[in-house]
Amino acid sequence: MLRRHGLGLLGLTLTLVAVAIAVGAPLLTSHDPLAGDFAASLRPPGSPGHPLGTDQLGRDLLARVLYGARIALFIGLCTVAVTAVVGGLVGLVAGFFGGWPGTVLMRLADVQLSFPFILLALTINAIVGLGLRNIILSLSAAGWVVYARVVRGEVLSVRQREYVQAAAALGTGGSRLLFRHVLPNVAPSIVIVASLQFSQFIVAEAAISFLGFGVQPPTPAWGSMLSESRDFLYVAWWLAACPGAALALTALGINLVGDWLRDVLDPKLRI
Amino acid sequence: MRIYLLSRLGQTLLVVFLSLTAVFFLVRLGGDPVLLFLPMDIQAKDVNEFRQRLGFNDPLAVQYARFVAGATRGDFGESLRYKRSALALVLERLPATGALAGTALGLTFVLAVPVGILSAVRRGSLVDYLGMGGTLLGQAIPGFWLGLMMIYVFSVRLGWLPTGGTGGPAHYVMPSLVLAAFYAARTARLTRSAVLETLNEEYVLAARAKGLAERVVIGKHALKNSAIPIVTLAGLETGQLLGGAVITETIFAWPGVGRLTVQALLNRDFPVVLAAVFVISVTYTLINFGVDLLYGWLDPRTRVVAPA
Amino acid sequence: MRLWRSVVPVVLALAAALPTPAQDRPRTKEVVVAFAAEPRTLLPDTIVDWTTNDQVEHMYDRLVDRDPKTYKPAPMLATGWKVVNDTTWEFTLRQGVRFHNGEPFTAASVKATMDYIKDPANKTHYLPRWALVKEVQVVNDYTVRFVTEKPWPGLIDRMAATDFLPMPPKALKEQGVPALSAKPIGTGPFKFVQWVRDERLVLERNPDYWQGAPDVSRVTFRFIPEFSARLAALLAGEIDIMKDVPPHAVEAVDRSGKARVRATVSSRINYLALVNLKPGPMQDLRVRKAIHHAVNVDELIQQVLKSRASKMCGPLSPLNVDYSPKVECLKHDPSRAQALLKEAGIDPAKLTLALDTPSGRYPLDKDVSLAIAAQLQRLGIKVNVVVNEWGTHLDKIKNRTTGDMFFLGWGPALDAQGTIEQLFQGSQTYSSYGGNKVIDDKIAQAVTIVDPKRRVEAWAELQQLVAAEVPWVFLWQQHDLYGVANWIDWTPRADEKVWMYEAKITPR
Repeated sequence: MLRRHGLGLLGLTLTLVAVAIAVGAPLLTSHDPLAGDFAASLRPPGSPGHPLGTDQLGRDLLARVLYGARIALFIGLCTVAVTAVVGGLVGLVAGFFGGWPGTVLMRLADVQLSFPFILLALTINAIVGLGLRNIILSLSAAGWVVYARVVRGEVLSVRQREYVQAAAALGTGGSRLLFRHVLPNVAPSIVIVASLQFSQFIVAEAAISFLGFGVQPPTPAWGSMLSESRDFLYVAWWLAACPGAALALTALGINLVGDWLRDVLDPKLRI
Repeated sequence: MRIYLLSRLGQTLLVVFLSLTAVFFLVRLGGDPVLLFLPMDIQAKDVNEFRQRLGFNDPLAVQYARFVAGATRGDFGESLRYKRSALALVLERLPATGALAGTALGLTFVLAVPVGILSAVRRGSLVDYLGMGGTLLGQAIPGFWLGLMMIYVFSVRLGWLPTGGTGGPAHYVMPSLVLAAFYAARTARLTRSAVLETLNEEYVLAARAKGLAERVVIGKHALKNSAIPIVTLAGLETGQLLGGAVITETIFAWPGVGRLTVQALLNRDFPVVLAAVFVISVTYTLINFGVDLLYGWLDPRTRVVAPA
Repeated sequence: MRLWRSVVPVVLALAAALPTPAQDRPRTKEVVVAFAAEPRTLLPDTIVDWTTNDQVEHMYDRLVDRDPKTYKPAPMLATGWKVVNDTTWEFTLRQGVRFHNGEPFTAASVKATMDYIKDPANKTHYLPRWALVKEVQVVNDYTVRFVTEKPWPGLIDRMAATDFLPMPPKALKEQGVPALSAKPIGTGPFKFVQWVRDERLVLERNPDYWQGAPDVSRVTFRFIPEFSARLAALLAGEIDIMKDVPPHAVEAVDRSGKARVRATVSSRINYLALVNLKPGPMQDLRVRKAIHHAVNVDELIQQVLKSRASKMCGPLSPLNVDYSPKVECLKHDPSRAQALLKEAGIDPAKLTLALDTPSGRYPLDKDVSLAIAAQLQRLGIKVNVVVNEWGTHLDKIKNRTTGDMFFLGWGPALDAQGTIEQLFQGSQTYSSYGGNKVIDDKIAQAVTIVDPKRRVEAWAELQQLVAAEVPWVFLWQQHDLYGVANWIDWTPRADEKVWMYEAKITPR
């Protein structure tokens, strides 16, 4: 049991800790993540009142890392929700109805796939501007394709199955067929893709911040904090280490969960 | 076969054309391209004159028609920032990116495929745990952070490797490792699941039953059949590899296309952005075409299959 | 499996080559300077861009330099100049100077250069900058006259900037512009060797330089976009000079044993604009004054910039040739701020302001903006800081769509006209303040005064007028922090030029 599910359980623990921190951030620290006393800037970890030290504006790093969990999970949840719905619908439509709408939609997906994810998100951010909402928008716009492809593939294979064909032959209506037979079969794939995409989005936020288009300060997003820490790389290692560790552990946890889900639900799924 | 090739070519052209069109209109939704390359003491009337001369005052449809007319002749216009042919700017940097991405891809396979195979063959063992845990960690660490840490350790502290730029083989080590880190994770996982799947296929079981050595069973039967999804992934990943190159090239001062593209985006150098999109999508479709041909070699059954 | 057999040896070979230590470059007298970007062109007189000109000026000289101490115009390729009448300047040219291809430098070169700038086909950014010049007259081989459309006393300041680098007329005519952009031919202290795109530009010493050959035998400019990578390269000894060491990293550089930080007060100024060109509370002088009193500039300099900036009281820095010391400072005075807001009928607790800032353009720009917001918060004013990507920031300023305040830097600012005319008139591209008839008229007048004494007085009066209007929270002059390898003796300049002619190599 532990042998088979050990990594999954580890991932689940990490994820639950991240969720608990996000929900309970105000209970875990009394500091405001946005307000700082810049007379007390760049204090190292272990300073009185600041277990993880302070940043360049004297803000408590622990508070920023804890509240950062909220931002990270928020970005992850929103983008996954948007991409799963949009990509899933596109995949369903393309797979179920086929014909020219399916072809057009999948060509569209091809066009997008031929363009690197990060560059596309950057292009969109360059147009709509910076900030939390816009980064969710750009990540979503760049991330829906995976769902569309996976779901379409699943739908095509489900449609071939005998009982579905039988149901269709018996005159079951299109929408009933879709919701009774097809959707339950593709749902596991969507869940798996979602859990694996989730952590990718959190990591992508960091990359986009690095290139100058990230979540806007003073919002304590881990990626932006990491990107800001470059200014202080040789003087305040904790500014890079703490949000970095938080980001990596959370992403790892969610990745492990996604991987575990795949092993349990659909070991053949390839993404 | 000829029909297949022609249809592939048609599809490729369509995809490239659609990409260019989408990006053309996307970038024009953004801000004024003229301000960013002019000095700050410029007068409003001079700004307008530059815009007029560069054709940015024309209706969007006219600009688009002009762009299409130029692009079909391979002319993407002059870079706003560098006053040189935009396509030449991009093509000059293609070899550097190709060399880096190629090394990274090679490294990905050298690192990831053995890990994936071992994990599959010894499923549930410590090797599997470490391999899969490690590769997932590779996906959880932002590339730029990894890069900066490596520079700090291996260049500043230890003095083993150059911090960036091109030159000898030593210059390739850190950039290609950072670029490969993320993709290695995915490739390793895919290899694992593909091998796991084939290990349960009947012919593998049969080969085992025949008493063939485990090495032969895995090497000859399982691996060759697992190769298809791995190669497919490699094809799909190249596009994303170019995306990862944006960050790697910026950190390691690598004179490649990714760095140029992101600079062009930041500077609103539209002709360069479009030329880069053109080059990237052509490269991507060519690679995937190559992957399709490779299928035929790996799996003769797909050789005559009509385009998917 | 075949794949395996071919990949494995390659990787093994690579691995064998791995632990090559970053080799110490043969330290002859070569200096490696790192910039964030490559030059946008190697043509002189074409693109206005600091990094580009910094590199181009190693190969091309100016007609007029600035004295490194007083910043007043000083001879370079021109040995002297005089005002002939209101619309004519006469320059005497240096004799015996040759271009790198052997061509002599004469009046023909000055004329050819102006013709190049004036030709719209060349699309140079300098065309509007020289719009006032009607023609260049060649008096004899070593005398030229610049005839202007109307009196233009600022011509000499323009000349002393990077705005006129004489080109070789014969090469320009015979080889054409593209050849010259591929292989620059100037009169400068260094000759072009090689340009590897996005990688490096290599120059070598010009032994026949008219001021004497430089001490540095070879200059390589390397292009490293990411500043933390630049810093790492300096600490690893791969590069010898970099600009803009972050204030917090100074100690790390000094401790490294490889390089140390050389600081200079820059002519670039930073300010917080209080925008009156759009509706809002900043229309009211009392509110602008209150905000200025509420911001504690000294605290910002000490705490955020680690004292790496020099406070300013008016729109011009003391480095500016037209600087007037008579402008009075507005002190940090929260109770005065409260009183002024009350007078204006504003309850600070109900006041919400927006502040636009770039990020990474100026030293700690975004952090300064956040700190200003925190200082205003102490009065109960809520400030929403909006961080813009640079292009968006410029768009917003030009379209007057910023918040009530924005952060910006300006420079190199060495003469009054370049700052006051540009930033305090509503009609200008990047101004934040305008609509003041008195100031508009005085500016229009000041730019045409030829008499040096009257000119200084006019700009001094304008500085007082502007300061009294509190169009900005006057912040500071930046300090430029350069990381310089220990074995190079080089003093940074206020005009931000990394001028390797002035570097001396100490033998090790």
